[in-house]
Amino acid sequence: MEPPNLYPVKLYVYDLSKGLARRLSPIMLGKQLEGIWHTSIVVHKDEFFFGSGGISSCPPGGTLLGPPDTVVDVGCTEVTEEIFLEYLSSLGESLFRGEAYNLFEHNCNTFSNEVAQFLTGRKIPSYITDLPSEVLSTPFGQALRPFLDSIQIQPPGGNSVGRPDGQS
Amino acid sequence: MPHIISRTSRMPQSRCHVGVPEHGNVFPGAVQVIVKTPDIQSIFTVANDASVKQFKERLSAHFNCQLEQLELVFMGCLLRDHDTLSQRGIRDGHTIYVVIKSKHGSRSLAHPFRNLLTNSPCHQDRSTKGNSSRVFPSAGMSQTKVESPLLMKSDAPNVGTQNPDVESPEHIAQMLENICVQTLLSNMGQLNSEYPDIQELIQHNPGASLLLDNSEILGQTLELARHLAIIREIMQIQRPAQNFEHPLNPQPYLGLEMIPNEAYGLGQSYNFNDQMFSGMHDLLGDNSFTTLLAGQVVEQVQTPFLSPSPSEEQWDQFPTAHVTYANSCGLPSTNPTHATPNNVSHASGGTPATAATMGQSHVCAVQQPAGIPALSSIAVTKELQEDGKGTTTSLGSSDQGVEDLQQSDEQTITQITGGMIRLLRNHPFIAAQMLLLMNMPQLNEQWRQQPPTALQPLQLSELLSALANPKASQAILQIEHGLQLLATEAPVLLPCIESYLWSLGWFPPSSCSYPDPMPWAWNVPDTAEPQWPECCHKPGTVLQRLQPLSGDSSQSQQAPEVHFRKQMECLQAMGFVNYPANLQALIATDGDMNAAIQKLKRPQGL
Repeated sequence: MEPPNLYPVKLYVYDLSKGLARRLSPIMLGKQLEGIWHTSIVVHKDEFFFGSGGISSCPPGGTLLGPPDTVVDVGCTEVTEEIFLEYLSSLGESLFRGEAYNLFEHNCNTFSNEVAQFLTGRKIPSYITDLPSEVLSTPFGQALRPFLDSIQIQPPGGNSVGRPDGQS
Repeated sequence: MPHIISRTSRMPQSRCHVGVPEHGNVFPGAVQVIVKTPDIQSIFTVANDASVKQFKERLSAHFNCQLEQLELVFMGCLLRDHDTLSQRGIRDGHTIYVVIKSKHGSRSLAHPFRNLLTNSPCHQDRSTKGNSSRVFPSAGMSQTKVESPLLMKSDAPNVGTQNPDVESPEHIAQMLENICVQTLLSNMGQLNSEYPDIQELIQHNPGASLLLDNSEILGQTLELARHLAIIREIMQIQRPAQNFEHPLNPQPYLGLEMIPNEAYGLGQSYNFNDQMFSGMHDLLGDNSFTTLLAGQVVEQVQTPFLSPSPSEEQWDQFPTAHVTYANSCGLPSTNPTHATPNNVSHASGGTPATAATMGQSHVCAVQQPAGIPALSSIAVTKELQEDGKGTTTSLGSSDQGVEDLQQSDEQTITQITGGMIRLLRNHPFIAAQMLLLMNMPQLNEQWRQQPPTALQPLQLSELLSALANPKASQAILQIEHGLQLLATEAPVLLPCIESYLWSLGWFPPSSCSYPDPMPWAWNVPDTAEPQWPECCHKPGTVLQRLQPLSGDSSQSQQAPEVHFRKQMECLQAMGFVNYPANLQALIATDGDMNAAIQKLKRPQGL
């Protein structure tokens, strides 16, 4: 039997604050945050991420954010592009619709985590998924929660992933 | 054929002992696996040695689809039909992903831009390193590069015109960028004369020429501008639709949008960073004194964001905002424990008093150990007027504030966000300023060559009235806080700051150490020429000087004569007959009799 193809899976990590969080977080939050992380999964030479506009894809590093600040190697997957796109489409119709976006509970990192587990069985680093709770555990975060809840992140530069013919 | 028992539930149940059957048979070789589809998660119990095919059959019955549509994924591996579950290492509690393919054939991503190469015509305005190879073909474009980061229009760059594979083009792009950017920036002098827009910019704001002439400052400033613009671009804030009072200003820095406050009835989507820029500019822009204080650096950082002519109306808008905020914050929170005397007079004193009082409450905060984050205390005192709370950390203060404010309605939230926004508004530029200072020590050389901005021409009265401006004291506070912060973070940089400040004409170079508190010129009213303190190594004392003065001018607190009446009487009894001098001395030493006497005994003068 021929060995299955293995496709590398990478996690692109971006700091949305571009360094400001690292400098200002001790003052504002009282604790040190290294960054405000936005992540995306790169597999099959495409970058996939979740924002207020739903699941989007673009060429790697192709959003307005530019190249990632960190690249984490998640592992390898046998899942082919076809299967993966099917999976994404059904995700995008169910769990990861655009309106389901919430900065704290259901954000780009939630999506990346989900997809990483699907593709490789591994989760993404915890410092990324722990970020909302880190922020919310500070008085600043609590105080600003209503405002922060209304923030939606959608890096421009991607195209929506969806079924072309609406089949389910 | 072993029994296969299935149990489905929407919520994952806690793992109970394997094989509790509904149909009766217990057998040890079964595993409970979690089956995940994109929308549901179910638990299946299946025999260890069942084959994948059998499992698929079950699943297809369960999900009501055909066998061929199913794909099972475990730990990134596709499960083939002939495998058994145990072969793949599937144990209790493991998760198997199920993808149900659509009935139609294979799909591929729609990627209209995938094959676009780097030479596509440039309508983008950003100069990201990765994709900037197309930005530099001509001088015309290079102007765009300068102008557009200045303006940061958001219309163009939404198109993803990126290479699919960034690795090799990136190298080329980076090389190109280096060469072209260097050429561009080193020829800025020519650009200045060639392009009228830049001329206008320089005329309007003389500091811009310094910025534009120094390629490194320009580079860094542009980088910062780009970052902030990116953040702005990415973040959207969803609010219920409101009336548009003013059309959204295309120029990004003049954000009319403000965080929730119905008083403005502003538009639908807000932009967080706009307030940062506009607020800061408002703070700094309309007072020559603060301009001097805040220094050319900040102005330089500011300048790229300014287009030559902000409209009057928009500036009016923002000062009103300040006023209203101040007023709304001046309304004492209903909880009396938080209403210090300052707060009460605060409310009654009206707007001009607000910032001065704020300045005073700052003093208490400032004089506490430097561990207290300086600027968060601004926000805190703005909301809570916690006079004596200096020793607690800002966290503690905010805690209390949160409790208190949770009792109130949205207006309080507005206050908090307003305070925080002011905080954030003030911060990035101080951060930017420090950034620039830290990264480019050669700036000091640059500034030394500039003619030092002399304060001598200012008359005493002008100076006093300038200081009475609450924003002026605010600005001075910020500098103090910044210096304090710097002192704690990187004391080694203090000499750099000093030489920078020296070049502005503030005070003689660092060789002097701080002497005993020198009376300021206006302690001796007959002196025409004001003098700054010799050195600001002890920033707290600078503000000590300020506080009584701003208190004097704003009259928001008890008149010093009343306040120090007892001491005044003592002094007079001792033989110090010069009433004004006594008063000044007492103010300067804040009522400390001994120090005041010392002061009065020393010869007054420059």
